[in-house]
Formats: sequence, C-alpha cells, structure tokens
Amino acid sequence: MEEKRQGISEDWLSLWLGAFIFILSLLAFAGGDILGWGIATKEWTDISKAMSPVSKTYVSVTGEITKIDGSKLTLKKADGKTEEITVKEDTAALKVGDMYEKKGISGFMSLVLTYLFMTLVMTVGAAALRANVGKFILSFTIVFWISYACWLIGHYAYIAATDAKKAGVPWSLKLTGEAGFIVALIAGLAVGNFFPKLADKLKEAIRPELYIKTAIVLMGGLLGVKAAESLGLATAVMFRGLCAIVEAYLIYWALVYFIARKYFKFSREWAAPLASGISICGVSAAIATGGAIRARPIVPIMVSSLVVIFAVIELIVLPFMAQTALWKEPLVAGAWMGLAVKTDGAAVASGAVTDALIRAKAMSMDGVNYKDGWITMTATTVKLFIDIFIGVWAFILAYIWCAKIECKTGEKVGAGEIWNRFPKFVLGYAVTFLLLLMICLPASKAIGPVEKEINTIKDEIALTEKQLPSVTDPAALAALNEKITSGKERMKSLSEEIKGPKTTLANAKTSTSGSNSFRVMFFVLTFFTIGVVSNFKKLWEEGIGKLAAVYVLCLFGFIIWIGLIISWIFFHGVKPPVITG
Amino acid sequence: MPDEPKLAEELKKMEYEELLPVEKKLISYSLILGTALLGILVWISYTFFPAGH
Repeated sequence: MEEKRQGISEDWLSLWLGAFIFILSLLAFAGGDILGWGIATKEWTDISKAMSPVSKTYVSVTGEITKIDGSKLTLKKADGKTEEITVKEDTAALKVGDMYEKKGISGFMSLVLTYLFMTLVMTVGAAALRANVGKFILSFTIVFWISYACWLIGHYAYIAATDAKKAGVPWSLKLTGEAGFIVALIAGLAVGNFFPKLADKLKEAIRPELYIKTAIVLMGGLLGVKAAESLGLATAVMFRGLCAIVEAYLIYWALVYFIARKYFKFSREWAAPLASGISICGVSAAIATGGAIRARPIVPIMVSSLVVIFAVIELIVLPFMAQTALWKEPLVAGAWMGLAVKTDGAAVASGAVTDALIRAKAMSMDGVNYKDGWITMTATTVKLFIDIFIGVWAFILAYIWCAKIECKTGEKVGAGEIWNRFPKFVLGYAVTFLLLLMICLPASKAIGPVEKEINTIKDEIALTEKQLPSVTDPAALAALNEKITSGKERMKSLSEEIKGPKTTLANAKTSTSGSNSFRVMFFVLTFFTIGVVSNFKKLWEEGIGKLAAVYVLCLFGFIIWIGLIISWIFFHGVKPPVITG
Repeated sequence: MPDEPKLAEELKKMEYEELLPVEKKLISYSLILGTALLGILVWISYTFFPAGH
C-alpha cells in the first residue's frame, strides 16, 4: 500500500524522462535541432566565453566571408580565427569580403533555458513520484545552480586545461573539464556533512539514482552512434563485460559471504545483504537480496548507508589510481570502475572521470588522442550487466533460502521475481542504444570503404602533384594532369555517393549532441547529490565498527583487486579508437 | 514516523548461526563454477570477439 502512495518508482521515471528527452532529440532527423540550445561549457580564462549553446545553429556568429562553398561559408572572426558554418539561406546574394552576421542566443540564455527545461521536466517527474512539487521546484533550483557553478569552476583553465600553454595559463592541474564532477562531489559532501539543515531542505531534489539512471538512458543513444563507427570493438566490449560480470558474481559474492559468516560471525540475515552490497551493486543488490531472503527491512537499509559512503571514497580514489597505473590500458580501467565501484551513480561517474583523466594522460605522455566515451561506455556496460543480473541472483538466493535454508510453509518463489527486480531504466538504455545503432550502422558501413578509397585517391593526387615540377616532357605532364583531374572527378562522384549516409550520421550527431547536453547536466546533478547523501557521520555511529570492518576488509582487501584482475584478463590490449589527423 | 533503529542494538540482537552444509555448498560451487568458467569465457572472448589480442 505504501508503494502505491509513493507513485511511480524512480526506476520507471528515469526511463520515461530519458525517453522523452531522447525522442525530442530524434527530431534532428526531421531537420529540427530542437535541443541545440542546451548548455555547453568550455574551458575558460574569461568567464564570459565559458558558456554557449551546444549546437552551432543557436550560436551568434559574426565575421568576414573568406570563402563560399555551396551552403558552407568560411568566416574570419574579430579574434582572427576562422570558422566554417553551414547556412540555410540562399548564398547567391553573398560574396567574399562581405560581413556576415547570424543572431543566436547567448551562453547565459542557453543556461537559463536549460534550467527552465530541466525544472519543467523534473517537476512533472516529481509529481509522478508524488513528491511535494512546490518544495521540489525550490530545492531543484538550488541543486541545479550549485551543481552548475561547480561544473563551471571545474572548467577553469587552471584546473582543467590539459595544455596550459595553449589555454594561455602558466600552469594547470590538467584535470580536464570533468574536474567539475569532482568539484560538485566535494560541494555535495560539504553540504551533506557540514550543513545538515540545508541538506534536509534540499532533500526533495536529492535523487542521485534518478539523475544517473536518466543520464544512462540518454547515454544509450550516444554510445549507439559510437558503436556504429566501431561495431567490432563495441561487440567485444559488451561480450567481455558480460563475462566479467559472471566472474564477479560467482567469485565476489561467495567470498564476502564466507568471510562475513565464518570470521565475523554475522547471521545469514546480515551476511547475505552485506555480501550483495559489497560485492555486487550496492544499494539495489542489498535491498533485492534482503527481499529475497526475507530479511527485516532494517538490514539492507543499514548496509546501504555504508555502501553509499564507501562508493564515494572509491569514486574519489580509484579514477586517479587508474590514471596513474592504467593509462596505457584504458578499457581495463573502465571495466575496473564498473566492477569495483558500488552504486550506479558512483560507478558510471567514476567511468566518466577516468575517461577524461586517462585520455588527458595518454595525450600528454604519448600523444595518443583516444576518442572520448569508450572508457565510460565500458564502465557503464559492466555496471548495467551487473544490474541486470541482480534479479537473477535474487531469484537464485530466494529459491535456495526458501527450499533449503529457511523454508516457510506455503512460501513460493516465482520467476516473476526476476522481472520485479529487473532495473527498468536498462530497457531505456537498450532501446536508445539499439535504435541509433540501427540507424547509423548502414550509413557507417556505406561510408567506411568509400572514405578509404577517397583517401587513397587523395594520396595519389598529392604524390602526382609532387612529381609535376620535375617533369618537363609535355606528354608526361599532360598524363599527370589527366591523372589528377580524373582522380578529382572520381573523388567528387564518390563524395556524392555517400552524401545520404553522411547526412544520416550528421543528423545522428546533432541528435546526440542535443541530448548529451542534458546528459552532462544529469551527471553533474548526480555528483552533487551523491555528495549530499553521503553522511560520513554514520562512520562514527555506535556499533558500526564490525559492519564497517567487514566492508573495508572485503572491499579494499580483495573486491577491488579481483575486479582489477578480471578487468585485466578480459580487457587488456583492447583500446578505444584513436582520433587521427 | 517510528524512531530509527540503532545499528548497535540490531547487531547485538544478532545470534550466532552455524554455517550450514547447504551454505558451504553454495560458496564452494560458486567459486568452483567461477574458476571453471573463467577459462571458458576467456577462450570464447579471445576467439570469437577479438579486439586487440
């Protein structure tokens, strides 16, 4: 009955919220860049230049036209930089040397619009959750602006710039813009631990699981586009992620349960949720296991409060350890975050931070520019497989407990339990991922070989042009010129051939960049709110010692390290695609 | 809203329970299966889903 009064679950809500934003973003395929006004934040030394709309469609631009190529204009801007833009109007009336001006919206306006849109969407969500809508709007407003301020601070060049010289600052912490996540986490921890009254006032909007799950649904589409570009790698990452999870479930859980029972003398009621909380997936696993073995509700709640605190410690420590030790094995690091860091929010968040840190280090140490998102994708894939299996694991435990350990008369375990425990937001992730994969894969397959051919022809033309000055024989010269002309014509016809697929990919990128702006904001909200709910005073609570001891021993004694070994076995040598040129 | 139960009290209430044979089986089967599957899954992933190896 209690469940009904609470309205829709956060799990279902995240699925609907993510699906709604995703569907809006899909209008890009009908020519409407409907979410392009979302906020994008750049590294800054001058704060007025830190914010802009995510899509060029909405950015103001002024400059002198230096080149006109169909609907593409090359502009020389006031700061001397050139920019290529695509215009919708007829370019016949324009000529080189003219000034061109397109009015858009300012960065601050884009931020205000982002705030208004997210507040509206989340308020509808809060109503569906049967939360106090008035209180929610007020607390969400505060949470949003604090979180964004942290994100902005994290983009300050002294903190974020990976190349201080290029950013125009004498030194930098080289943490990339994702340092904003850490700033948000620290701010959240400060609020949660030192300003309990404020934390209490904000509680309607302190929903890290809702934010991260919505972000994961949105991330599905983004990763679908990436997977279409490197299908073999994406399939390998998914299969290996699945293998890693099977291993983790079978080894982790059994070891933690054994240690808790044998050496710490925990009862079965405590040991099983504790084993699931430490070894599998934190809060949801502890609750699912508690339900499966019919433990009193207090048990998984107590375990969960510890899980959240230690997840934050992992989130702060592990990405930096991964950057130091695993920057040559980026996907091992990603899988490690997914396996070792508990709770969806902290695990995916660690993946995102690790992604930024490792790419920055690989770039500065080896000059290797990995495509972004693959480390986050690996961490997310691993974490989602863990989530999917919670239901199956809860079912197995429920069956064993019911049939062999504490069998109560008349109690039956149905397979419906698997569906009840299934994390529904994963469906949203799967659908957005598969939809964009199906849209982009044929286009990507069509473009790949043609672009390869174009590049070969380009190289041949460059080689032929190099030969030209040394050739004096008119016949040979004519042959070379003929070769260049025919090569260029071939390139033109090939480019024409892939115009359609290229438009499809461009639309997909417009679509995902719009939704990605909101995904990033949901991530920032997650970091801040994870900090707020992490009450470290719990660690000083009377009696926590024994529970914390088994947690620390298992987590830092072997969970993290077995996770690292499993990640290494399955992911070493698997590298993200590299950006060339 | 009832008072939040104290962790210390809850842990004190906990009684010692002997590790049952079925629990020992659950633990050992799980570990054996995990170790055996490790080899099989590694072979499948390296053979059918190569990516960098």
